[in-house]
Amino acid sequence: MSGALLEVRDLAGGYEPVQIFQNVSLTMSSDTSIGLFGPNGHGKTTFLRTLSGIIDPWRGDIVFQGQQLNRPGERGSRRFRNFNYDAVTRRRMNPKLVARAGLIHVPQGNLLFPEMTVEETLSVAPAASAGRGRPKDMLEQVHTLFPRVYERRHHKIRFLSGGERQMVAIGVGLMAAPKLLILDEPTLGLSPKLRHELSAAIRTIKATGVPLIVVDQDVEFLQTLIDTLYLFDHGSISRKIERAEMPSHQEIMAMLFGETAR
Amino acid sequence: MNLETLLFVTAGGLVLGALYALMATGLAVVWTTLGIFNFAHGAFIAAGAYIAWQISSADASGLGYLAGALGSVVGMFVVGVICYALLVKPFERQPNLVLLSVITTLAGATILESGIDIVWGARSKQLSRIAEGDVSLFGVTISANEAALLVFVIVILIVLGVFLRRAPAGRAMRAVAQNRESAQLMGLDVPKLYAIAFGLSASLAALAGIFLGSIRFMSPTMGTDPLMKALIVVIFGGVARFTSPIFAAFIVGLIEAFATFYAGLYWAPAVLFAIMIAVLIVKPEGLFGKYERTVQ
Repeated sequence: MSGALLEVRDLAGGYEPVQIFQNVSLTMSSDTSIGLFGPNGHGKTTFLRTLSGIIDPWRGDIVFQGQQLNRPGERGSRRFRNFNYDAVTRRRMNPKLVARAGLIHVPQGNLLFPEMTVEETLSVAPAASAGRGRPKDMLEQVHTLFPRVYERRHHKIRFLSGGERQMVAIGVGLMAAPKLLILDEPTLGLSPKLRHELSAAIRTIKATGVPLIVVDQDVEFLQTLIDTLYLFDHGSISRKIERAEMPSHQEIMAMLFGETAR
Repeated sequence: MNLETLLFVTAGGLVLGALYALMATGLAVVWTTLGIFNFAHGAFIAAGAYIAWQISSADASGLGYLAGALGSVVGMFVVGVICYALLVKPFERQPNLVLLSVITTLAGATILESGIDIVWGARSKQLSRIAEGDVSLFGVTISANEAALLVFVIVILIVLGVFLRRAPAGRAMRAVAQNRESAQLMGLDVPKLYAIAFGLSASLAALAGIFLGSIRFMSPTMGTDPLMKALIVVIFGGVARFTSPIFAAFIVGLIEAFATFYAGLYWAPAVLFAIMIAVLIVKPEGLFGKYERTVQ
């Protein structure tokens, strides 16, 4: 077994019949964090949804801590895919097993459970922790990290602001005692103040030793957090940049769009 | 109309309401969790009553009332899970799930009712009563059976409500109902929770069947009429909260009792539907509804 925490080999996927991404390979070890950066609509979120098993991969393998998460082999032939997928084709991944293995995905713009209170939501979350860590400790960690979540624990999710909701979403991820935490655009659509607050919290999470995969549009924020940056455009990883040579926002724009942004 | 009649009709309405509450809650559990309407619920009611009869009746196995009720509830849970696996699970992620499940659950209802007809025959049967004799309260006399029924239903609904609010499995079920994808990402076993919801709903149907079988005669299609009333209840009250179909059930029961008293038995459904239409014109999401579960 290699020391890699997560190994993705030649992954491809999408929403039948449209392929969204292909040839994605990446390896990360348990003491590093990586970032994904790229324009909107180029498949980052779809890639992450495939990683956590919400949709089936079309090709390729996902190995997490030496355990293969997908059913090996090619996906079924087109003839069978055209029938009722749930009845005729076997799912290639099980999101429950992915989450219980410790690969926790905090999705983009997570709406959570509108009619449940914050406390109830957090009490459901340890389902994925599969015995790692005590729920009580986790809850305490979430409450110290986000005092606001504690203040609003008796309120329903639908009455929370976007920032508070995002805090709860990250808190839900933490309650699962993650071995790898995927944060998809954690600061999307938030005010600069909240952005700052959340960034600090995410850095604290990283400091406790949880490896992260972060998608964000803010390179400066990513730089403070990650060791390797992957540029993701047109449905595959176009470049891998180590921390030392991480470029500024301007340079990345130039790389992606082929000309220097003014 | 004197006070005594008023109280008498009210008591009748409450008993009806309790039955409808039990059925409507069973429907609402599936509706809020899976987002489909289970038309086999009426057949579940009949099947539950017949299983209870088979186990408890002196003409069949004769194992006593309690064994019959228990066997029926457990048996219907299994039947519910099987029905879920066959009728709903294969279409779970289809965009037109709602329409497909109408047809598949209707098919399931027909198959179940015909199955009951083949196994037990069309001859009417009756379950034994929970309690014999009469109970007098505030000057109204109702049969002890109906009084016990009222109490049991309220206890069952309270237990169910506490389960959904407090128990981890109940909370997980509510979570799945509200956001399937987030629930999946949180490592909840979505197919299992769906199966539990369906089984639970079938168990509630079994209880409704047992109670119904003790106050009316049983026939393979005994669930059809109460299912229609439960449908009215669910639409009338909305399913925003666990309690809203319950309140609506009692309102519908009372309306029906009074309509039967004033307008006659045959006019009662017409009055009920007229009131329902009037309510829906003013408040389309139901009497207690706050938001409508949108169909994806």
